[in-house]
Amino acid sequence: MRVIFLIARDAWRHMLRDRVAVVGALLLLVLTVIAAATSHERQRDAMAQRERYQADVDQQFDAQPDRHPHRMVHYGQFVFRPLSPLAAFDSGIDAYTGTMIFLEGHRQNTANFGDARQSSSLLRFGQLTPAFVMQTLAPLLLVFLGFGLVARERAAGTLRILITQGVSGRQIAAGKALALLGAAAAVLLPAAMALFFLAFGDVQAMVSASLLTAGYTLWLAIWALGIVAVSTLCARPRDGLMALLAVWVTVVILLPRLGAAWADARAPLTTRFETDIAIARDLAAIGDSHRPDDPHFARFKADVLKRHGVTRLEDLPVNYRGLVAIEGERLTSALFNRYATASFERQAAQSATVDSLAWLAPTLAVRRLSMTLTQTDLPSYRRFVEQAEAYRYRLVQSLNQMQAEKVDYVNERKGAGPTRIAQSNWESIPDFVFDAEAPQTVIARAGQPAMVLLVWLLLAGGALAAAARTLDGRVSSAMRRARVPDTRSTEAAS
Amino acid sequence: MSMLKHEWRLLMRSRLTVAALLLLLVLTALAVGAGIAQVRTEAATIARLTAMHDTAASTARDPTHGGDAGYVAYYTFFPTWQSPSAASFLAAGMRDVSPYVLRVRALALQSQLHDGETLNPEVTVLGRFDLAFVLTYLAPLFVIALLHDLVSDERQSGRLRLLLTLPGPVAALWWRRAALRYLALFACVAMPVIVGSGVQGLPLPAVAEVLTVVAAYLAFWVGLALIVGARPWRAATHAIALMGVWAVLTLVLPGLANLASSRAAPVGQGVDLTLTQREHINAAWDRPRDETMQAFFQTHPQWSATAALPEKFHWKWYFAFHQLGDEAVAADAQAYRDGLLTRQTWSEHLGWVLPGVAVQVALQRLAETDLRAQLAYQDRVTAFHDRLRAFYYPFVFNDVRFTRHDVARLPRFGEPVDTPLALSTVDAPGVEVGRNDAKNAATADVPGWARVAASGLLMLLLGGLAIRRVRLD
Repeated sequence: MRVIFLIARDAWRHMLRDRVAVVGALLLLVLTVIAAATSHERQRDAMAQRERYQADVDQQFDAQPDRHPHRMVHYGQFVFRPLSPLAAFDSGIDAYTGTMIFLEGHRQNTANFGDARQSSSLLRFGQLTPAFVMQTLAPLLLVFLGFGLVARERAAGTLRILITQGVSGRQIAAGKALALLGAAAAVLLPAAMALFFLAFGDVQAMVSASLLTAGYTLWLAIWALGIVAVSTLCARPRDGLMALLAVWVTVVILLPRLGAAWADARAPLTTRFETDIAIARDLAAIGDSHRPDDPHFARFKADVLKRHGVTRLEDLPVNYRGLVAIEGERLTSALFNRYATASFERQAAQSATVDSLAWLAPTLAVRRLSMTLTQTDLPSYRRFVEQAEAYRYRLVQSLNQMQAEKVDYVNERKGAGPTRIAQSNWESIPDFVFDAEAPQTVIARAGQPAMVLLVWLLLAGGALAAAARTLDGRVSSAMRRARVPDTRSTEAAS
Repeated sequence: MSMLKHEWRLLMRSRLTVAALLLLLVLTALAVGAGIAQVRTEAATIARLTAMHDTAASTARDPTHGGDAGYVAYYTFFPTWQSPSAASFLAAGMRDVSPYVLRVRALALQSQLHDGETLNPEVTVLGRFDLAFVLTYLAPLFVIALLHDLVSDERQSGRLRLLLTLPGPVAALWWRRAALRYLALFACVAMPVIVGSGVQGLPLPAVAEVLTVVAAYLAFWVGLALIVGARPWRAATHAIALMGVWAVLTLVLPGLANLASSRAAPVGQGVDLTLTQREHINAAWDRPRDETMQAFFQTHPQWSATAALPEKFHWKWYFAFHQLGDEAVAADAQAYRDGLLTRQTWSEHLGWVLPGVAVQVALQRLAETDLRAQLAYQDRVTAFHDRLRAFYYPFVFNDVRFTRHDVARLPRFGEPVDTPLALSTVDAPGVEVGRNDAKNAATADVPGWARVAASGLLMLLLGGLAIRRVRLD
């Protein structure tokens, strides 16, 4: 064990002497701090802005004058997507989803005004968040720090000296790995601190932050072990560097994009245009409440009259038009939801396709883990959209209910009297409150990518162990060729 | 010439070099192929959707709605679209987040204009695999791989001493070797681009522009590799330094710049715009109808002589307050758009310092997939929407019966035939040319390739100078 520490200490001394390494590490530290600070500020501003807007529109809704409830159905309501506390660490898909949805009757609108449509091309270079630094830049720094750990010793001839002095290949590999893991820990530390700063005061976020730290520890450990393994196998430091850079580019830069292209080609999404036409077509088939001779609504009318035991709409105890509005909304909403669910399912299938590539590129696994735990992934967004839709439905139906119960049919039909109802009715409708996902389900979703990372860690560890064995083998065979007597036994004895 | 041939043979002897060049060729070909496939998909989607619209319209039971033009105007959606340009395969730009097909009707436009497209954000966030990506991110890495040890390899193998003692300037040797590698790399990117341009029928000036961007950007990295390579370091240090610069130039600084630009030009008005418009349009139901009409007549006096509003609902009042809703937010809409343009101009200027950004900007402009193109499309939709209003209003305001004959005369969206490089705007009948079209589309005061070329030439010059000063240690 002492030998391992000695080797690690020597490697650290070497890293600290290397100006490039020190500059790189400092740069990364500064970047993490900048990313965390600006991302935090941005997120806080965005959150405050959305909360202010939400409060404004809630207040505006309640303050609407006395009017016919159906006017309120068209006046509608806006809901703004709240941000999770950890979104400042990993903004995930936040820039690519809309921030607000307009909720109105007869329609399901899209979430609009996402950042991606409002930014110049710069956004496409990636958002500088701590997650980006950890996922993309930290492995690159580890490559720079670690590519020569063993290969350099070999090139300088010190490796053979070490081994002839009785140090086993396993000890050398372990010592070097320890050194690089230490560097990885130093890289991770500021990001982890940022994470806990963001989560501070929120138990659920603290749990996520801990798991997230564990996930990034796995991620950097995979790189550290893999890098030492490659460095052990390569004859010259340069070969090691080139091989590792190639791996980094492929895994971090290239494969995610190829994965996106693949997923898109495998299951293309239906455009909104097409969905709208399809919905309109289906709607015409099931019934149009605005058409007097529509078969569905003719049946509906007969049913209502029969149920109340009257023959004329005027004799109903409720406003028939309100009933029609309720029935119409029920039909259209069911249809909208069917299409929305189908679209989300298809998107989930696309994401699963990308995720399956994580076995080739663990970047995708750590991305998934990070987006899941910070709740900036597609399922979290879907949860918001579906809750907003459920709220829309409740809102519209309660307004329709008001029309049925509080507006006189004859007055409305013939313009014979007042059809407006009091403003207090608007206040009686509860505001939209987003109900965030339970921590257990979030954590359960993070299980799969965590497993992928664990498997990768085992692979990297296995590769390092195998590479360490070749050290002994290669050196001793070289010694046999050089006909140098094996000094290991005598060393051990003395 | 024989020297070059000799150097070429030396270069090709390294299996790793050949593999790297082939890989770059394959990646570029993949990107170009994917881009062309994407253009085909988009064109097919547009064709399918416009056809869908026609079928839907023709199967409507009564397209005249009993002669009620207001009713027709309310219920009839019209397809608009933004065809991919011939160069669109080069850079996907914003086409993956902003809709290139949009249905509009004659009601208030602003609320229709900002509708989102169905997209999977988790896939979109990963980015497209297009030429712009391969060139910006991957091509520099190949330059680094092939050129970082130009000098250090000789130094480490002990041949540098010999080379420096040879008669004649040794710099010529480095230049020759660098030029050879540069040309090989350029060819690997250029060949698929040329083939792709041929397939897509890209006009020659556009092809020349793309190739200039490619050549200049590679020149930038070659120059940088020479500057770094001339330092008396080991090969690994050269590689690390160059990779570090690459990471800073293509990953870190653009990210920082994005942070800075969104702080410098905050764009929140999009939401405000929608909220304001809702207030205006909905308040109209509670306002005395004559008040609305008078306000409308002030800006549209041509309808003021029409018949007074009847007791019952009348479409002309409905359309009037919708149009007033648009007019109420016109200033907001302009401010929103100006904010977006400020951000775009920001990144264009940034191209002078960050060649990767300059490449993206140049290729997206050429491909007409950038924010300017998106705004130009919105302008065309706006112009078409104006035509829709102009078509329906005489029926609605003068109470003219809408006949089957009029159905055939309904306006149809048209777009300018592909204008190479967005330099000219063809004024054809039925073609929407937006009010701000000229301002947006052709605005770039400096052509995009010029920024890349400037940095490329400068860096190449510095690299050439640096390499002359190679000393033994």
